[in-house]
Amino acid sequence: MLAVLFVLILLPLLAVVVQVLFPGIFFGTLKIGDLSLLLDIFRRPLWYASLKNSVLLGLGTTVLATLLGGALAFARSRWAFRTARLLDVSVWLLLITPSFILAQGWVMFAAPDGLASQWLGWNGATRMVFQPAGLIAVMTLSKFPLAFLTVKAALEWRVERLSDAARLSGASPWTVLRTVELPLLLPAICSGAMLVFMDTVGDFGLPASIAAVFRFPTLPYSIYSALYTSPIRFDMAGALSFYLVLLIALAMSVQLYAMRKSRFDFLSSRAVKSEPRRPAKGGALLALGNAAFLAVAIGIPLGSNLLMSLQGDSAGGGFTLEHYRALFRDGGRLAQGLAHSLEIALAAAAIGLVVGFLTAYVLNYTRFKLKKTIDVLSLVSLAVPGIVLGIGYIFIWNQAWLQPIGLLLYGTPWILALGGVAGAIPVITRIMAGAMAQVPERLLAAAQLQGAGFSRRLRTVLAPLVKGALLSAGLTAFGSSVFDLALSSVLYPPNYMTLPVVINKAFEDLRFGYASAATLTGAGLVVLIILSVDLLARGTRRSSRRTTS
Amino acid sequence: MTTIVRRKRVTALLALSLSLALSACGAQNASQNAAGPAAEGQAPANTEASAAPEASTEPSKSDEPLVVYLNDFDEIIQPMFEQATGYKLELVSGNGAELASRIEAEKGNPHWDVVWMDSMPMIDQLGKSGHLLEGWTPADIGNLTDFASGLVPASGAYYPTGAHAAAVIAYNTKAFTKDTAPKTWADLTDAKFKNTLGMADPAVAAPAYPFVSWFFQNQGMDAAKGYFDSLFKNGMHVYPKNPNVAKALTGGEIKAAALQESNAYALKNKGEPVDIIWPAEGAPASVRVAAIQKETKHLEAAKAFVEFLLDPKTQQELIDKGEESYFEPSAKGVNAKADRAADAKLVVAEAAWAGEKEGEIKQWFADKAVK
Repeated sequence: MLAVLFVLILLPLLAVVVQVLFPGIFFGTLKIGDLSLLLDIFRRPLWYASLKNSVLLGLGTTVLATLLGGALAFARSRWAFRTARLLDVSVWLLLITPSFILAQGWVMFAAPDGLASQWLGWNGATRMVFQPAGLIAVMTLSKFPLAFLTVKAALEWRVERLSDAARLSGASPWTVLRTVELPLLLPAICSGAMLVFMDTVGDFGLPASIAAVFRFPTLPYSIYSALYTSPIRFDMAGALSFYLVLLIALAMSVQLYAMRKSRFDFLSSRAVKSEPRRPAKGGALLALGNAAFLAVAIGIPLGSNLLMSLQGDSAGGGFTLEHYRALFRDGGRLAQGLAHSLEIALAAAAIGLVVGFLTAYVLNYTRFKLKKTIDVLSLVSLAVPGIVLGIGYIFIWNQAWLQPIGLLLYGTPWILALGGVAGAIPVITRIMAGAMAQVPERLLAAAQLQGAGFSRRLRTVLAPLVKGALLSAGLTAFGSSVFDLALSSVLYPPNYMTLPVVINKAFEDLRFGYASAATLTGAGLVVLIILSVDLLARGTRRSSRRTTS
Repeated sequence: MTTIVRRKRVTALLALSLSLALSACGAQNASQNAAGPAAEGQAPANTEASAAPEASTEPSKSDEPLVVYLNDFDEIIQPMFEQATGYKLELVSGNGAELASRIEAEKGNPHWDVVWMDSMPMIDQLGKSGHLLEGWTPADIGNLTDFASGLVPASGAYYPTGAHAAAVIAYNTKAFTKDTAPKTWADLTDAKFKNTLGMADPAVAAPAYPFVSWFFQNQGMDAAKGYFDSLFKNGMHVYPKNPNVAKALTGGEIKAAALQESNAYALKNKGEPVDIIWPAEGAPASVRVAAIQKETKHLEAAKAFVEFLLDPKTQQELIDKGEESYFEPSAKGVNAKADRAADAKLVVAEAAWAGEKEGEIKQWFADKAVK
């Protein structure tokens, strides 16, 4: 397990960080680099600002998005209300839509000549959004799905007896929530917070998109400049990546400290599947609140893109479907890119699910000494910008000696799949670990006593109990790898364009309408796939329960 | 019933994912075992690997495609070249920076045969570090224009196929007329244009570097810093990339700009109220060059490709049908776009100088921007 994570995530990252020490190591020259680069972060104004901004954005978003995502997940699994299904769809949409598209949507909305001032006559939007607090708010609205999904997966099973006992002892519903239910959710909440933090500090789309209006350089932004402006400086990217990893390590230690000593495996045979109930009162209010929230979180970023995709090219031109028609004309380039991306994402999700499931198992049920290391490793690829991993992949998988043994993966689609797996592991592992934390080891031990082997225990005991989480994890991984731009733009093999590469190219050629149309079409298709798989799986589950009971 | 069906499906899925995972694991273990000694043993392995395939691929040379890294014209060049020569072509397209990054990371084992981009300083540096084929002269070299043949390096490491202005002066016709608009680069520091001007960030936008580097070589480092400082003091808006500048110009945020040539003509052709001034002292140019990778296994096809690009017929077709069609051709007998100004004068910073100073100049702009 450790080896897999090592090869997929740590090795490529190390390959970049080591550039600080030995700049020419992969090209056959061994010379010592300039270590003072590491201290430059306190000397160079741009780097220092990047570090400060990353910390600020990361902390602010983590707190807000975890609160928001957790609260929504709680409401969603406790109460049934209209528009609840809409919330699920929106969460998937937000999760798989690449952050640069979301950010672009916000920019189109709030820029000085944006939709808010043009259509709504609201000029305050620019000042509200383009300041640190505004960016934290935008980030929160983009990243809360990570916290939502982790907490929701953990709420799949409920041990009513615990809450009932508290209620019988005279506790108010609020006290039960505060002292029994929330503490039991701590692992899931922490996992969610961790995911949000990682994804936020590693996010490149937002600082890049808003740079047109407001200068807010972050670490990934400066790393990107080191890698993507000539002269290419791998060593500088390595030095900045080092600080990014340091931030992650700090965050992990805070989490470990918060969760020391506690046990959370409270599921027993008395656990019941939690079904949302109709609230006694306020159902309409919930529905209304939810709809209003979604109008902002989804409506603004995706709505702006939708408007863009429908707007004619000429200034002041009316609405048109021209851009959508263009999608199918372009020599099938888009369709081909989409097919490639779906293939890659499927392979990445399948492999990632196996790796992530086993990783989560190791984290939860073994006494393996390097557990903590695995824990950290499984998260790193979320925070390390895709381009850093991508460059690292080239270093590792493009060495001439790999050719005779058939492992020269760079230049083949396999490298994209591997990259996809690395990108998928953090999310899968966190979602799985959150769910597994509730399945007590004794359930597995009992099965073992009855003579069930390892694979049988996983198959018949553990997997069914965490099936909801498995499904969420697999689908999330699938959805987000389809749009993985950073990785595929550095790694895609000749004549093997992927969807995000095609979209990004359209953005660079100023074909905003085409790019928006392509994004929405691609995202729509992926959401459709996800929802139908989700529906199919849950549907069969329900009917199978009926047949067996 | 449903249970059975479901179980079958789950088993099938598990089997699939397991086999995938196992093959992946196998691959990784193998590579890991080898990873240890690799660091030292790399050099000999390298020569072995590159020697072996050369012998074996000799007969089937024309079947293996030529791999070209390029940042424009990817939409038409493949069929054009394949029909003209019979060689097969594969492309990796991206923006100049992405490709430069890939080329740099692939240095140990390059995957490209030809690079064709408008990043002359970067490619010049590539030649200096010994990664390009040198000493080869294309057949039709005599047909280069005077401007273009002045750009060919002594080593013959790369050949120019065209050049375009990294920046011209573009102005909003609602704000200025031909007479009131800034006409020279020095005009941009004039107080009457305070807070109305914009340009792309040289630390971010690829074409902005050829623009500023000309000032730095022409005026000297300190004088150029003084020039740009006075631009900033005059309220120059700096946008990340040229498209942002274009948007600000039509949106009314700025009234005139140093804007990349094809962006400027695109605005004009779309019917935006924008007009273009070519400064008499010259517009700093971005030169598109083609270079062959030193270790290429497809030398004949690579040479054919470079000669194909220098062919007047090819350049004419790129101007007539390509997307980045506003450029000055490098071959004689080719007509630039009819609406491209007849008096368009291009000036270029020396490639070697610009390549060496690139890091220093860009960092100056990057740190300037934060303050």
